[in-house]
Amino acid sequence: MIDFSVTTPFRLVRMLATAGYNTPSIYLLICEAVALEAVQADTEAELKVQLGLSLRSLPASGVRPERIEDALGSEASGTIPLVILDQWLPKLVASFDRNVVLLATNGTVLLLGTREIAERTLAAAPNLRNRVTDVLSIRPDQVFGDLSV
Amino acid sequence: MEADSKSTIVEFDRRQVYRPFIERLNPIASLLDLVADDLIVARDHDPRDPGQPPIHVAFANSAELSRGSQMALVGGIGSGKTTELLLTKQALSRHSDAVTIFVDLANDTDLSDLNTGAILAAIGMRLYSHLRMTRKDLPKDLVAAHGKLRELAFGKTILVVPEEQDYDGGEETVRVDVPGLMRLRFPALRREVKEVKELLLRIASPLLESDAQITILIDGLDRLIMAERFREYAEQDLQVLRGTKMTAIVVAPLLLWYDKSRFLQDYFDLVKHIPAAAADPGDSVFLKQVLERRGAQELMDRADVSSIAKYSGGVLRDLLTLARSAAEYAYRDDQDRIGRQHVRAAIKQLGNRYLVGLGRSHRSLLRRLAMNQEFPIEDSTARELLVNRQVLEYFRGGREFFDVHPALAKVLPKPA
Repeated sequence: MIDFSVTTPFRLVRMLATAGYNTPSIYLLICEAVALEAVQADTEAELKVQLGLSLRSLPASGVRPERIEDALGSEASGTIPLVILDQWLPKLVASFDRNVVLLATNGTVLLLGTREIAERTLAAAPNLRNRVTDVLSIRPDQVFGDLSV
Repeated sequence: MEADSKSTIVEFDRRQVYRPFIERLNPIASLLDLVADDLIVARDHDPRDPGQPPIHVAFANSAELSRGSQMALVGGIGSGKTTELLLTKQALSRHSDAVTIFVDLANDTDLSDLNTGAILAAIGMRLYSHLRMTRKDLPKDLVAAHGKLRELAFGKTILVVPEEQDYDGGEETVRVDVPGLMRLRFPALRREVKEVKELLLRIASPLLESDAQITILIDGLDRLIMAERFREYAEQDLQVLRGTKMTAIVVAPLLLWYDKSRFLQDYFDLVKHIPAAAADPGDSVFLKQVLERRGAQELMDRADVSSIAKYSGGVLRDLLTLARSAAEYAYRDDQDRIGRQHVRAAIKQLGNRYLVGLGRSHRSLLRRLAMNQEFPIEDSTARELLVNRQVLEYFRGGREFFDVHPALAKVLPKPA
């Protein structure tokens, strides 16, 4: 199993605060299926506390491949989109890959999925793989353990 | 105190040390911003030939001296192709009559749904914007041509009254194509491409009549990956520009460089290739300059800068990613400087990213390459590795060769 750097919602948001959440960046977050909801909720809470921002979660299955800019464009400032890769969607991933420039036009975009889907996404999208700011294994704060990378 | 604690007391604001550095290292930052901030380092020669001028100078010279020429730039993902285009644009601005249009197709259209003629439409709309900003009282038919072009580009909604079909009158006709004796060098232009061509030429006419030097820089088509699709646009959209005195410089997919048909070399007047690195990346003065321009010397030792250059494999975007990750790890560890352990962690992280998706056949090819320097470029798995940058192409001493990306080589499991 490939061991990517481990983070938590708290650390992730702290990093966004350092790097600047409104600069174009794409984070691919890998999470165990059982922890997806907890990670989502913790990230939302940390964004609110640390940066005063809100999280806009949208399931990938609800994003139309030909309309990714519309789906991810922030209609309101102070919002960070989180795309939950809820199933393997090759057409959407191909669209992410070809239109990777549009993905993060408005600032940070978070992609969250299980290991299997995240790895399939990286393997199928060479442009995205090269432009992703970081690939992180994310766990909810309370179960966080060893930080070594 | 543990690094992970949520203390709100900050004795020393380390963010002010790392934030500017990390912002300057954003691998997907707007290149226009980087140019404005003077963060771009231009190569001082062609990466394949130290005796030749840098690519952007060669392109600018050709555009200035041979109007209407067509040039292509190939290179792997993250090799700095867009940067070369922007440097070309900058170089061309030395003449007051230069009209240089930069089109990043990914910004204008969804490349998944790109149709032939769309590139010409994008060029026409950019030329129209330029004219509107620089000239007053544009002719009515030119404005109408722009309106029609927009309709063709973005479509329109019309209401029609359905007519009853008459099946009684007329004989049914069947189309039969009789092939000619001569095979055309390029396929005939499609109807929509012809239509866009007329509109584009009308829009460009004031500039062409005033003998302006028009150069179109087209970015984004390399993301099509599939060489056949790129070829289709070249044979339709770019073919239209031939003979118009409008120069085109286009970014092309890397695989075309290795295509047996030699389409790139045959179609374009000048083709330039950016290999991952022309020398040992760890010794590359250019790569170190890129990091130093962004402030690396303030936060890391020379040996670590060399290490990052080496493990980037010469891929510019990986160079920035490694430096950025190392800085993030140092910040996370509450360190004032980036240490060797942070660089090592960043290399491992990048290597792991490239490790994803490698099956047995991929790994076998990588091992053959690492051990015997064998890489069958005609093989589809080998090409996949090259496109994904798990294998990099190098050029040294007049010889082109391949190697496993050094960050991937570092984490690639040994065979059981």
